[in-house]
Amino acid sequence: MSEAVSFTRAGFGRGFRRGAAFGLGVFVYGLAFGLVADQAGFSPLQAFLFSLVVYSGSAQMATLSILVASTSLTASILWSVVALILVINARYVLFGATLRPWLSQVPPLKAYSTLYILGDGNWLMSINAYENGERDAGFVLGSAASPCLAWLVGTAAGSVMGGYAPNPRVLGLDFMLIAFSAAMMVGMFRQKSDWGVMAVAVVAALGVAWLGSPAWAPVIAGIAGGLFAWMRFTEAESA
Amino acid sequence: MTNVEFALLLLAMALASYGCRVAGFVAMRFVTITPRIEAALRATPLSVMAGIVAVAAMRGGPAEWIASASVLVIMKLTGQDVLSALAGVAIIALARWAGL
Repeated sequence: MSEAVSFTRAGFGRGFRRGAAFGLGVFVYGLAFGLVADQAGFSPLQAFLFSLVVYSGSAQMATLSILVASTSLTASILWSVVALILVINARYVLFGATLRPWLSQVPPLKAYSTLYILGDGNWLMSINAYENGERDAGFVLGSAASPCLAWLVGTAAGSVMGGYAPNPRVLGLDFMLIAFSAAMMVGMFRQKSDWGVMAVAVVAALGVAWLGSPAWAPVIAGIAGGLFAWMRFTEAESA
Repeated sequence: MTNVEFALLLLAMALASYGCRVAGFVAMRFVTITPRIEAALRATPLSVMAGIVAVAAMRGGPAEWIASASVLVIMKLTGQDVLSALAGVAIIALARWAGL
């Protein structure tokens, strides 16, 4: 586990190119966000800043739905926006924890800059790359940077182009992250004991989604699967 | 919304969003990564992926089922994740266009 970790330009380039696979999908979602922000009365600069500080499609869209109904900012609106972002982005707490073995070995400034633009697809790719022997943390930053760039350009374009933005769903782009998760799942499957982990995760996710909290489903699935692996560790070790 | 209000909103959103991104990383600083913890950390991504796919299948219809199954098969055959994911996107767009 404690193999030498580097942080190079070459690693950044490898990550950037891999992350570009998400470019089109993220770009079209950025367009959609820009468009909705424009309709909610935010200027292109405000929409851009929104994307720059939050950088989470689902959280930004949900936040707009709160803000669009209000003309001025009250403390209660502010708190509900904060609570909403914390709930929708709770999965990042888990993502950050799993990147610890890798990112803790690079200088803090690099690690914390990388975490700032961490994304779902980029996290999946990075974890997968680490499993396959990648130890250059530049890869994490690179694969985060290309979708982030697409998100920012998409937001800016969407907020000025108005009603011409295409519907991501018609293009199937809402399925990109799901498709990638399915592919990565096959790619990361290593041993028979992984079936147990996946079964626990699926039951947890479906239970949470069935109770009406889809935003929590991946988080609870991740915790349940991780906990399951932790609990049966000695057994797996002796096997 | 005034500029001051918008700035305040941005600051609150930035703190909430970045807080989530760093919280897990910072918390793990106080946890010694034993082989047992490492096993848990390695099982977590697989679990998140399985959860994402399962919930999408539950909330979706035939288009989602066909596309997800196709991705699993294509990945198993080719081992190319980007190719498999893009194929899944194309398949779901077609399936929806066909009215599934």
